[in-house]
This record gives sequence, C-alpha cells and structure tokens, in this order.
Amino acid sequence: MASESVLVIGGGPAGLAAARSVADLGGNVVLVEQRDFLGGTPIAENYASITPHLESAEVALGRVVDAVQGHPGITVHLGAEVISCTGDAGELTAVLRSAEGEQPVECGAVIVATGFQHFDPGRETQLYGYYELPDVLALQDLESMLKAGSVVRPSNGQAPKRLCFIQCVGSRDRHIGNEYCSKVCCGVASKEAIEVRQALPDCEVFIFYIDMRMYGYWESQIYWPAQEQHNVQYVKGIVSEILPFGDRLLVRGEDTTMGRPMEIPMDMVVLSVGMEPSPGTRRTAQVLGVAQNKYGFIDAVDLPLDTVSTSRPGVFAAGAALGPADLEDCASSGAAAAMRAMAVIRGAQVAV
Amino acid sequence: MPVGGKKQLPVVMEKEQVSVRSLISDRESELPGMWNRMFEQRVLRDYTTRELDRVAALPGGESLEWCYGCGKCVPVCPVDLVGEYGPRKIHRRTQTGTNLLESADLWLCTTCGNCLRVCPKEVDMMQIMPAARAAAVGQSTVPGELQDVFEKTFRYGNCLGQNARRRHAWTRGAGVPVRVLADEPGPVDVLFYVEDYWSYHPRGQQAAQAMARVLSALGIDWAILGAEEKTLGDSQRTAGEKGLFEALMEDVVATLDKYEFSRIVTPDPHGFNALVKEYPKHGHRYDVLHYTQLLAPLVDQLELTVPVERTVTFHDPCYLGRHHGEYDAPRRLIEAIPGIRLTEMSRCRENGYCCGGGGGGMWLDGFTASHTTERLSERRVREAAATGADVLAVCCPYEVSRFEDAAKSTGNEQLQVKDIIELIDEAMGHGADAEPA
Repeated sequence: MASESVLVIGGGPAGLAAARSVADLGGNVVLVEQRDFLGGTPIAENYASITPHLESAEVALGRVVDAVQGHPGITVHLGAEVISCTGDAGELTAVLRSAEGEQPVECGAVIVATGFQHFDPGRETQLYGYYELPDVLALQDLESMLKAGSVVRPSNGQAPKRLCFIQCVGSRDRHIGNEYCSKVCCGVASKEAIEVRQALPDCEVFIFYIDMRMYGYWESQIYWPAQEQHNVQYVKGIVSEILPFGDRLLVRGEDTTMGRPMEIPMDMVVLSVGMEPSPGTRRTAQVLGVAQNKYGFIDAVDLPLDTVSTSRPGVFAAGAALGPADLEDCASSGAAAAMRAMAVIRGAQVAV
Repeated sequence: MPVGGKKQLPVVMEKEQVSVRSLISDRESELPGMWNRMFEQRVLRDYTTRELDRVAALPGGESLEWCYGCGKCVPVCPVDLVGEYGPRKIHRRTQTGTNLLESADLWLCTTCGNCLRVCPKEVDMMQIMPAARAAAVGQSTVPGELQDVFEKTFRYGNCLGQNARRRHAWTRGAGVPVRVLADEPGPVDVLFYVEDYWSYHPRGQQAAQAMARVLSALGIDWAILGAEEKTLGDSQRTAGEKGLFEALMEDVVATLDKYEFSRIVTPDPHGFNALVKEYPKHGHRYDVLHYTQLLAPLVDQLELTVPVERTVTFHDPCYLGRHHGEYDAPRRLIEAIPGIRLTEMSRCRENGYCCGGGGGGMWLDGFTASHTTERLSERRVREAAATGADVLAVCCPYEVSRFEDAAKSTGNEQLQVKDIIELIDEAMGHGADAEPA
C-alpha cells in the first residue's frame, strides 16, 4: 500500500506553497525545515519587502506560514534535515535527523524546495572590496537596513548622499562559473532604489548595469516607476573596481554610452548579488541522488513543459532549488510539484 | 622618442573644444569635446542629478528623464544625420551634468516628432524643447538671430519684420478679386489664413496667388483678413517664446471674433498646428483645414486640363504628416494632376525627413550651420534629386525658399521646388505665363 504522505524538504516560499497545495488536495505532508522557523531566505535574510509589490516580507510570507502551520494535514519538523531516502516512487522511506535524533518517514513522493543563497562577493576573490570596505554592501544588507528603518553608512552612521547599485555581481560570469542571469536582481535593486529614495529624498541613487533585465510586468511595476517617479538614474556601464577615496568610495568603470572612463565618488555601494544553490540544495541533491546541473542547481529533466520532475522518479523540485527564481516562480512551481507528487500517490493507489 | 633609455610619458591635455588645422585645405575646424578621445581620454569625474532635475521641474520637461537609453530615436533624428545629436544623447549629457539650458543642444531640435514616433517611453521633445527653451528665454540666452525674429514678431506681427499694411499686397497679382473682410464684412464660408511666408516672401506670394485663382475657380466663398492678420506664431512657441505666442493668440482671437466664417483654411502646417492643438487648450475652437485637406475632396471639380509632364517627388511637412497624420491629401492632389509621375523618396510619410525649418530652425540657420555638417534642407534636396525627380513638391510655406537655396548650394539646380498649389494652378491653365485676368 503506497503511502498517502508527501515529504516536502524546505520551508521557504516554494516549500510552503507545495505543502499547502498537497494538504489542500487531501494528502498528508511532512514538512522538514533545517532552520528553526518557516519562511525561508526572505525571512532569514531580513528582507524588508517583496518584489515587485513592496509588501512587507514578514506580512506576505506570514500569511502562508500561518496557513501551513494551522493545517491539519501538515506536520512540520523544524531544525531537521533529511539524511537518506530509499525505495521507489510511491513507497519511499526517508530518515530525518534533528536534535531529538533520527526518525524514519514513509512517503509516496518527495518535493525538494531547498532554495538558494546569495552570491558571496568574497567567495573566490575579494570582489569590489566587499569585506574590506565597510560601505560596500550587498542587496540583502540593504534589505535589512530598510527593514530596520535606518539606511546609514556602516563606516560612520551617516545617511548616504550618493548611493549606487552595481548589477550582475556573481551572475553572467564565466570566470566565476555562474554563467546564468540571476533574474531577480534588476528588479530587487530597482525596488530597493525606490525605497532608498523614499526614505532619503536627498540621496542621489544610481544603478550601473550591463543590461536591465526587467522581464514581464516588472518593467512597468518597478523599472519605469523607479526612473519616472523616483528619479533613480540608470547608467549603462558596469563598475570594474571600487577604491577608497578619502572617507568615500570611488567607483571606476566605463560609461559605455558616452564611451568614456568614469570615476564617480559614492557614499555607499550596493552589490546586486545573484543567486547560487544553497548548501541545503547541494546536500539534499546528493542525499536523494538527483542530478544537478553544472551550477549545482537541481536539474529539471523534462523541460520545458514539465518544470518540476527530477532524474529520480517520485522526487520533484520547486523554487530556487531549480535555479534563479522570483517569488511568483516559487509559488507556481511549488504548486506544480504538489500536483505531480499527488499524481504519483494516487496513481500508485490505482495500480495496487 | 625615448632619450637616454628613459621612458617619456605622453603629454596629456584635457579640452572641451579642440582646434584642428587640416593638412589638405589648411582650414581650421573646431572639434567638440567628444572627439577629444582622438587625443586623450576625458574621464567622467562626477554625475549629478541636478541637471535632469532642473529640466524635469519645468512643466513639459518631465519626460526627459524617462529615457532608458534604447537609442531608437537617434537613427531617425534628422539632426543626428548631419551632426551629433538625438534625444538619447541629450538625456545622457544632461544626466552626466550638462546644463541643457546653456547647451547648443537646446537649439538644434526642429521638433519634427520623428523621435517620439519611435520612442517606447514617450520621451516627448515637442514638450521638452519648448519648455527648456522658454526657461532659456527667461535667462536671455537665446541665439541672436532667433532673438531678432522674436523681436520682429513682437513689433510687426510677422516673423519677417514686414509692414502689416503690406500683408495682402500679393493680392494685386492674383488675377482674381480677393475679398478682405475689413473692407467687405459679412458672413463667409472659408477664412483663408495666409500666414507670413505666403504673405511676404516672393515665392510664397506666387503660391498665394495660385491659391486665390484655384479657390475662385472652384466657386468657393472665401476671404482673407488682410492687414488685420497676424502670425499664429507656432514656431515662435516651439522655439521658446510661449509668452509671445499667447499674446499673439489674444490678438488673433480678438480679430477672428469680429467676423463670421465657417472654417479656417491655411497653407501653413505650423499655423494649422497652433489652431488645432494649442488654441483649444485655451478654449478657442475653430473648424480648421490645411489647404490640401480643403482641396483633396474637391479634386473632381478641379478642371485640370493642362498636362504637367514632370516627375515629382513629395516632401511631407512634419507638422502636417507626423504631427497630424495627414499624408494622403497632398498625394491625392498630386496624383490628380494629368501628366505627373509621383516618385517617393525613401524617407517619406511617417518617416519623412525634416526640412530643418520647424521649432525655430527656420531662423537659426547660422547657429545650426556651425553645429552640423550640412543643412537638413540640403540633405533632403540630395535625397529628392536621387529619385530622379525634376520637381520637389511641397505644401509648407517654409519649404520653397529653404529647398530652393539648398538645390543651389548642393548643385541640384535642375530640381525645381514647387508648392502643390502651383502645380494645380499650372494644370488649370493659369501657369506662370498665364495672363492675369
């Protein structure tokens, strides 16, 4: 007799969507989250607001977390991880490990929603002096400042008068190994730029870019308002280096549309870091034995019209474990993975 | 050369403007800063949003900072084809700290509207330029030749500084009676608003006389304002003299209020633009037609009996075509004339190339010449000549004189420039050698 349960690994936006969808369809869910709380990276990294709607991340994700935690069909294991998974689709046995020890879970299907981590600008080289220069930050650092309601230069506690974003940090880079576009950073940087302009109307905000990638509605939801209503200045040409410049920063690059070198003083520089597979995604892929692509994300093997099946029957993936994804992608693929997982369970029952 | 084994560094200069003497012609030319890269790199040291903020704060100037740099406007900008220009470049220069109000860029735009046609962000130079120029007018940084026209318009009610009493002197050579409302009041169907160049310029007067003959032959009930007519001043408005435009409008409306007419017909697409788009903003509404729009539906009533055996190409006026979408009326008239073969230039209709006269360009010839490689009218005449046409047909009063000068200066004297009304007049047997009635 096939199990009625689906094991969902990861309690971020995609895992929450998957868990709720399975439970709403009448399945039982075992939701495993290695952190001590649900909500995933947006909560763990203190995002101020979600893109593109600028709603508080805590409020938006809180709604989904509440729905999952209150659902009779969902059992949540926090501080836990999956250390093995044996059996075939429809009849799988996973072992969870937590502070209380190890415990087996019988399930018919598994959904991996283990997400991403922000690219670390100091990972291989000290890119842009991220760890050397206090006023060089990354997107998530500014998010947490915006969440705290205080955007100031870490070096002196003063509000910046000139702030810039540098796009494509850790993305679209063969040298670093991340050849893909991280998809969300243009929108997130523009959203943060709007928030900085709202919080600090005297602060001039620039975005240095290679090309702006505002797919779909983000163009008119974020990019155009940033430029037209919030006076964010977009400059085509990427910054090559950041040098200390008195108590400020000097960003150096090429202004490609003017065809001239530029050396612009800034008070604060925000690196628009891209997405990489989280350690949990890499580890879980190994544990489950599902194929990963060359970047470490889990391979969806039947693209483009099946976005969630992995190389192992009965194991599906969702959200940023599959590659760069925004919140809408996570919700969609979480629900799609739930449907596929339920089909495995129901199909196995019919077959028995 | 290195001397004594010691490396010598090149001499570095930074200049906004460089003079270069040609080895061939021995002529000295001024090169703008962008060419400094030939000699050394000029590093952008700072950006400031101050200059964009300054333009965006002007009513009408808001959309300059909407530019996202796609560059679609530059290839269709008529000024860029003879120079170094375009809305995207103006946006970037302003974004990098150039004060548009003190830049030569401010006066080169002809408001031809081709950039807006292709702009995905609707950056509207037709709003931005008049607004920024109006601010410059307030600071008295207007090029002298344009200022001179503003003053003439203010004093005389026409851009040529001519005596108002001579405004209808052209009627004497028309060969048909022309009713002047001040002398013969009473209701009239068509009020013919002659505008400046058809009133005063010798070539324009010929066109006005042809128009009078055609209107009379059609039996249309028409009249003019004569000495009471003042320019509608639309190009003065787009060149930055909003105040002058509004003062003229008060005078014009007061004159029009005195008379009873059904519709206004004008040969000038700029005046047409003022009456159709600007006057209603101030509550003044009239039934207005460009003369080609009046005549095109009546084409079957025109007795076009004399074949005009010419190959003709037609130049779309920006303010009739792109600004008002009228491409067909002039062509219907040309095609109705027996004997004429119409051949189009590659840039025509929506993508018609500007003659350079709009937005004040008519009165900035010297200024424009010093910032471009050739006149827009010269480039356009070369395009017309390349079609093999022997007549360049026009229907904007600015163009006959501009293109005739350009035909001479580019060595294309074989190309005749004629207003469409002159071709119609010729086909009706009133040609140049016809005896005045």
